[in-house]
Amino acid sequence: MKLSIKWLVTILITIFSIYLVFALNDEGPLRILFNLLTFAGIYGLAAIGLNVHFGLTGLLNFGHASFMGVGAYVTLLLIPHAAGREGEITESGLPFLLAVFIGVIAASLFGLLLGLPAIRLRGDYLAIVTIAAAEIFRLLVRDLESITGGVYGIINFSDSLQKYRPIFLENFVSNYELNPSQIWVGLLSWISILFVLLILRRLTNSPWGRALRAVREDEDAVRALGKNAVWLKLQSFMLGAGIAGLAGVFLAFNYGSLQTTTFVPLLTFYVWAIMILGGVGSLSGPIFGSIIFWVIISETDKLASLIFENANGQQLAGVRFVLVGLLIMILMIFRPSGLLGKKEELLLNVK
Amino acid sequence: MSNSLIRVNNLKKSFGGLKAVDIDDLNFKSNELTSIIGPNGAGKTTLFDLISGFQEEDNGEIFYKDKNITKSQPYKIARLGMVRTFQLTKVFDRMTVLENLMFAGSSISNDSLLQSIMKLSKQKKYEELLQEEAINVMKDLNIEQMSSSYARELSGGQKKLLELGRSIIKKPDVLLLDEPLAGVNPKLAEDLLEIIQNLSNQGITILMVEHNIEAVMKISERVVVLAEGALIADGAPQEVRENQKVIEAYLGTGDE
Repeated sequence: MKLSIKWLVTILITIFSIYLVFALNDEGPLRILFNLLTFAGIYGLAAIGLNVHFGLTGLLNFGHASFMGVGAYVTLLLIPHAAGREGEITESGLPFLLAVFIGVIAASLFGLLLGLPAIRLRGDYLAIVTIAAAEIFRLLVRDLESITGGVYGIINFSDSLQKYRPIFLENFVSNYELNPSQIWVGLLSWISILFVLLILRRLTNSPWGRALRAVREDEDAVRALGKNAVWLKLQSFMLGAGIAGLAGVFLAFNYGSLQTTTFVPLLTFYVWAIMILGGVGSLSGPIFGSIIFWVIISETDKLASLIFENANGQQLAGVRFVLVGLLIMILMIFRPSGLLGKKEELLLNVK
Repeated sequence: MSNSLIRVNNLKKSFGGLKAVDIDDLNFKSNELTSIIGPNGAGKTTLFDLISGFQEEDNGEIFYKDKNITKSQPYKIARLGMVRTFQLTKVFDRMTVLENLMFAGSSISNDSLLQSIMKLSKQKKYEELLQEEAINVMKDLNIEQMSSSYARELSGGQKKLLELGRSIIKKPDVLLLDEPLAGVNPKLAEDLLEIIQNLSNQGITILMVEHNIEAVMKISERVVVLAEGALIADGAPQEVRENQKVIEAYLGTGDE
């Protein structure tokens, strides 16, 4: 009974958020909606990865952006693209799916690489190390211009994905003046979410998921019972990092160009906000959290302009984040376990 | 040499200038129920931490079944059949009692990511057996009515029982119990003592740190007394009780 009310409220809020998009936009609400749904799919996927780290295993990872970055950069560099100041073209590349696969594996391995020295740290210390590692990654990518394109980024890679775009999408979107390539990326990210959630549901109910929860509760007891807690944490770290890597690939294709500035810590904080909003430890929480979060992000400036009639664009942009912060605070006061989280399962406490 | 199950050689551990443990030679025989007593700060828990690998010794060696386990990881020592409990009970709060026990009883391969992703029928069968085992343990400990409660909802005494149950589901050879009776009401303490006695009768070697002297004297076959990290007495309960050093160091002579 209680469960169904939780779901009902969550779905109602989600529908209301979508309704808001239509109510606040006279011009092209559908276009705005599909734009933010695409972002919601991508960030939701990343938040699902983060939930494996934090919700399931209790790992305080603040370097999620770097996992997304590794996935994106490795994939794009393996397919035809143009990079750097001169836009140096690389015409040959691996088959698209293989490149994505390698990108995801690379993100996982980056998780392993980072985890090997850092995963023994507890709570806040892991957070500090991961956020620093993510910044090191970003700065390295920026400065290794000959490989990564540096500040000039990577462009002209979208064809590898868009050539697989089905015809019916074009017919569908042409009636609504939508951008078919973005819809295609969005569709794929939502399909990935479904796929990842199916696997994760199987895993969280498995002995492996049980072991991770035990690690989250008390590592010493896990060790005393003959289980290798460090290895369990590393596995969780790699799995979540791989999922983030996939989200990073979609993010790059959604932008159509890849910039190092995409992977600033703010990206990690967005993903955290989405996970908290949806409910830490809840598998499907990030889906709803992500949609609601993106509606808030994209519509608060309109809401703000209704409240503050004479404000200019810059002031409104500031108000947007004030509103986001306020909403998260309200949520934490009235529902600290997020929309779909279990109260017994998680409050935001870290040992 | 071979009749001692655990052998401690020249073991030293200090924190800053404080000597926590300083033991030349200490052996524990198979199937014995030994209590380790001593005033607060005597190094009892530190000794447990050293034996179970949770702390690293400054010096010395520890052998288990003639295998050198000095500086071994805790989980590796546990896999050899030596399981410990903690002074401050460590249950998995946000998991049910059943889950707590099933996790403890689960084998390494059953916990593996690969098996869990493939969801083999082998794993399903194993889990069913494991659940039965867990239910049996709960019945033995009289907590089966709490099976689906979250562990954090249990009373302090029930948590002690759960922790004990978790330690014995895998049928260890050695149990290190760190103050199993602390903070437990007299009735439950009696039950716990009986359970510990039964485990000992089943052939499990038990080392127990405990402050409840009456209980210690009642069930122990051997009592080891530590004070300021050093061994000051070792023998049958009655001998130790009459040992002058022990009376001075631990039971108090009335000077204080």
